[in-house]
Amino acid sequence: MKIYECCGVESVTKKVYCSTCRQEIKNEREVPDEGTVYSFTVIHIAPAEYAHLAPYTVALVQLKDSTAKLTVRIQESVQIGDPVQLDEMKDGTYIYQKVRTA
Amino acid sequence: MTVYVHSVSMTKFGNNENASLKDLMLTASKEALDEARDLKIDAVFVGNYMGGSLANQEILGAIVANDLGLGPIPTAKLEGACASGGIALRQGILGILSGEYESVLVVGVEKMKHAPTATVTQFINSAMDQTTNERYAGLTFPGFFGVVANRYFHETGANKSHLAKLALKNRENALQNPLAQFQKPATLEEIMNARMITDPLGLFDCSPITDGAAAVVLSRKPSDIKIVASAQASGPTMMQDAIDLLSLPAIRISGQQAYEKAGVGPEDIDVVEIHDCFSMTEMLAIEELGFFPKLEGWLAIEQGKTRVNGEKPVNTSGGLLSRGHPIGATGVAQFYQLVLQLRGHAPNQLEKRPRLALAQNLGGTGSYSVVHILERV
Repeated sequence: MKIYECCGVESVTKKVYCSTCRQEIKNEREVPDEGTVYSFTVIHIAPAEYAHLAPYTVALVQLKDSTAKLTVRIQESVQIGDPVQLDEMKDGTYIYQKVRTA
Repeated sequence: MTVYVHSVSMTKFGNNENASLKDLMLTASKEALDEARDLKIDAVFVGNYMGGSLANQEILGAIVANDLGLGPIPTAKLEGACASGGIALRQGILGILSGEYESVLVVGVEKMKHAPTATVTQFINSAMDQTTNERYAGLTFPGFFGVVANRYFHETGANKSHLAKLALKNRENALQNPLAQFQKPATLEEIMNARMITDPLGLFDCSPITDGAAAVVLSRKPSDIKIVASAQASGPTMMQDAIDLLSLPAIRISGQQAYEKAGVGPEDIDVVEIHDCFSMTEMLAIEELGFFPKLEGWLAIEQGKTRVNGEKPVNTSGGLLSRGHPIGATGVAQFYQLVLQLRGHAPNQLEKRPRLALAQNLGGTGSYSVVHILERV
């Protein structure tokens, strides 16, 4: 996963200028597609376009080796601190799953 | 130059089945204008969020000017999601402070009840950045505050019962407000066990879908209420970009700026209307506005400090949770309740008549925040 950085702020969102130094944000690097659940919710009442998926979990994932966080959908129940990884990228959605321990 | 409040009005909030968006807007506007008949209105500012998408009606400002015979004066509609009303008020104030206008009408309005919940939820989502992975993940507004709430519980001693107590307080306040949407009492048990919307937020933790309008006439001519601060700030448009998930920096910054402009601190404020679109939002806002220490708002709720006649009364109107949340009208309706409090005849009137009142109106998931401070002259 690509993250963007300027003045110590890392983000998965590519923005134009840095709000601290006002320069163009140019630093980017790859980080692993895995992390831990920082927080989550289970969406029971969904917007019309996602109503068929409800209830589903939306989690904010603290990415590994970065201060950046990522909003993902997970089809299973999770708790804060659970290790998670990318399952697939589908229609612009990061679909994550719990890391399975052997 | 100082800006004064001359009149306030508000329609009944709730299901106004037989009234159109225009009807609601004109009813509130007429009432405010009738109370300030000696003033000539120089401009109109309308706060509205989804008149175009949900009620198929724009040109709201021109409709007010035409139908209420205000003449060929300039008008504008302001949009800032749920902060549309507060932003319209601020633009009215700035218009007067610039010297361009002497008196302005500000009206906030929304018509929502006629649409199915899934449709309204979909349109409300347009107040989040719709080009991003967050939209595709299926994040919603109540979803954002559900994520915030679970983290808040994780980092503090708070749990769902604290949000329920907060929601109950606002419901109890609404019972005394004849214009509030919800006037049926609720119990803590009922709130705790209500249908889940976005875990851990249940039905009572979320503001309802509402029809309604509110209006205010402002002028540089003196009255009994003056506006001592108007401040606005922007914040992140995405959850994943929040530096601190348990902070809404736009609220903190707009609050700090307002205190500075008014030359007062949070300890000086006697009565508050806060943007409780969700119970969790009020919890964060009472911390960001400096009324209680960070991550300790839940203790204040536990101790009843924000109840009517508590140490810092918050949402004596019932708030968005129980007064109702017709999106564009909300910021203006906050003025309505606070002006009544300052004048001494509000629903849930404080025993000691307040002198300083603060209104905080939020848009998006912390993308906009507007804070106004009013003072009884």
